[in-house]
Amino acid sequence: MAAASIAYVGGQLQYGVNFCRGQSFRQADWLPGLTVNGCLQRELSWSYGVSKFLQIHRCKFSQSPASENWKSFRTLTTSAYLRDGSTKYFDFAVIGSGIAGLRYALEVAKQGTVAVITKAEPHESNTNYAQGGVSAVLCPSDSVESHMQDTIVAGAYLCDEETVKVVCTEGPDRIRELIAMGASFDHGEDGNLHLAREGGHSHHRIVHAADMTGREIERALLEAVVNDPNIVVFKHHFAIDLLTSQDGSETVCHGVDALNTETQEVVRFISKVTLLASGGAGHIYPSTTNPLVATGDGMAMAHRAQAVISNMEFVQFHPTALADEGLPIKPKKARENAFLITEAVRGDGGILYNLSMERFMPLYDERAELAPRDVVARSIDDQLKKRNEKYVLLDISHKPREKILSHFPNIASECLRHGLDITRQPIPVVPAAHYMCGGVRAGLQGETNVRGLYVAGEVACTGLHGANRLASNSLLEALVFARRAVQPSIDHMKGSSSDLSASNMWTRPVVPKSLGTDVTNKILRATKEVRKELQSIMWKYVGIVRSTTRLQAAEQKIGELEAKWETYLFEHGWQRTMVALDACELRNLFCCAKLVVSSALARHESRGLHYTTDFPHLEESKRLPTVIFPSAHMMSTWSSRQLHQQSMY
Amino acid sequence: MARPALSRIFAELSTPKPSFTGFVSESTIRSASNLASRFMCSSAQQPQSSHEEKANEEKPESVKEKLEIEDEEEEEDGDHVNKETGEVGGPKGPEPTRYGDWERNGRCYDF
Repeated sequence: MAAASIAYVGGQLQYGVNFCRGQSFRQADWLPGLTVNGCLQRELSWSYGVSKFLQIHRCKFSQSPASENWKSFRTLTTSAYLRDGSTKYFDFAVIGSGIAGLRYALEVAKQGTVAVITKAEPHESNTNYAQGGVSAVLCPSDSVESHMQDTIVAGAYLCDEETVKVVCTEGPDRIRELIAMGASFDHGEDGNLHLAREGGHSHHRIVHAADMTGREIERALLEAVVNDPNIVVFKHHFAIDLLTSQDGSETVCHGVDALNTETQEVVRFISKVTLLASGGAGHIYPSTTNPLVATGDGMAMAHRAQAVISNMEFVQFHPTALADEGLPIKPKKARENAFLITEAVRGDGGILYNLSMERFMPLYDERAELAPRDVVARSIDDQLKKRNEKYVLLDISHKPREKILSHFPNIASECLRHGLDITRQPIPVVPAAHYMCGGVRAGLQGETNVRGLYVAGEVACTGLHGANRLASNSLLEALVFARRAVQPSIDHMKGSSSDLSASNMWTRPVVPKSLGTDVTNKILRATKEVRKELQSIMWKYVGIVRSTTRLQAAEQKIGELEAKWETYLFEHGWQRTMVALDACELRNLFCCAKLVVSSALARHESRGLHYTTDFPHLEESKRLPTVIFPSAHMMSTWSSRQLHQQSMY
Repeated sequence: MARPALSRIFAELSTPKPSFTGFVSESTIRSASNLASRFMCSSAQQPQSSHEEKANEEKPESVKEKLEIEDEEEEEDGDHVNKETGEVGGPKGPEPTRYGDWERNGRCYDF
């Protein structure tokens, strides 16, 4: 059993080594002083009673003393359990209802019962807002090799080639299946799919549904899910923590605890297989295109459950989102997701100014406003940080009024609603966080180092995106990996026996009823303020242009903020097993924020989306993924421990 | 600024705000636009017309010029045919990806 566990984990890490194979690096550099195998034997013994280590790839390597006193779950006596309504048993539990979760659910539902657990309305996902298209090789003059090449170039050569090959090869079939499931994509008069060509692609390969590809895919999948008798959708169920245990040196996932946010009841899901498809974490930043649900819940839960996390430093920003702070009439309600201003405005002659009306782009690039988007993003970020300002200005007002209104009616009307006439005044813009290239480390079958836990979609780091995502590749990645995780999941499910007494193995989360409404309101208010402060720290210190000093400052400030917030909670009587939506979301945001900061600190080069002034160039020897192993952290904060582990400390 | 507010919250007891409400999604479901009838994806052996390829590969400047000259009529939802590309039911107006990102009426939806 132990050998199998190590081999399994070894398979995972072996994949990690393959990640770098063929690229010039030495194994000894990857984990200082240790080969991968040696690492397995010593560093990855997950069994209780042995401390775990936080290992940041290529960077700090801290060891904490073996001081924890873990109880072995195997020896816990389990009294007769109550099979009540608050525990549900399913073969498969799917966390998230975007393209990855639903696609997977529909497939595994042919073999067993499926719970789709989603924190809001089922359609409320990043998928629903992905309005471009999905890329695939569907034209005979196109080729898998070309799609691969475009992906790898965009990814700044940090992609895993095997992953890229798999995704680009299997993409077309996944699209065809979607169509068979009822998704309606635009076609030409000749009946063929109409394929658009997006930036970074050498061929036309973007399949789309008018303007709303994500929404159309979501619609089609949801319809199929709702009609599937084997799938139960639990909406407004917020996932709190994965339920895990140790089997020798391996962590095993048995399900997930969730909070029904409508009834304020905790529901425990026991499942043989769990798929994390919980999407992104845009809301660690103050300005993001992501809907409110994207608070990095899955990444945080996985990290707390001992899953390996990778490449979190690669956060994709869009340079020019409409900055509400610069509008004469501020929106009454904070905009939930950012309004991005198209490149076309710059392409049509729009000029960028700082608030002193200085045209700054020529300082950064001779192409000025026509420089690549990433250069523009960095330049804007640099200006904002240097000048301590909240937004810059994008001015198209020197162009003919009719042209402006006919090319950009959406921007014109949105700005006019808020008192700004873009034919006369510049548009306030600020970068917005859009996509997380990193996440829970996945193998080619969507497997993680936690047995029984699979990942797909934005929450996963599959190696496809590398250091920067190619346009329209994210829906594709979700589709391919959701599908690939199916057979291993089924095999795993069939090999698992139902342990009905398992449900009492973990302490149950509780809602904070006992605190009373006064205290819970106070805590809610504090939580909202702390969230804003965290986002502010992230934007200020972990933005587009980074530096070691700023990242270290972020680390410190986030640590202090988290400690303050937790102290506040506990001083008001909050128990470690208590749950509430805002508090749990913030807990996850803290976790993700720290993962991003740690990863950013670990990369001593600039590559793709990660740019740092201390290491401003690409370093061939650093062309490696950033990998974060879990740890028995000395500072055990509430955000870094599973809820059911809190009582251990 | 958030910082002073935070200090205040942490340091003092403050008057509670009314009504703790759980998360409620405010987003409305906008109905999908009426698309043309579905077609199964034809086999990869059928080539797209080279005319269509050429049209889509025009540089942004010439596309812009074309738009100034052409006057695309609004047709019924779902039956709209793009004169340049032959796309049925697609986004009206200029090619969304002509500047690299996916834009509609100035708003960028994907990049």
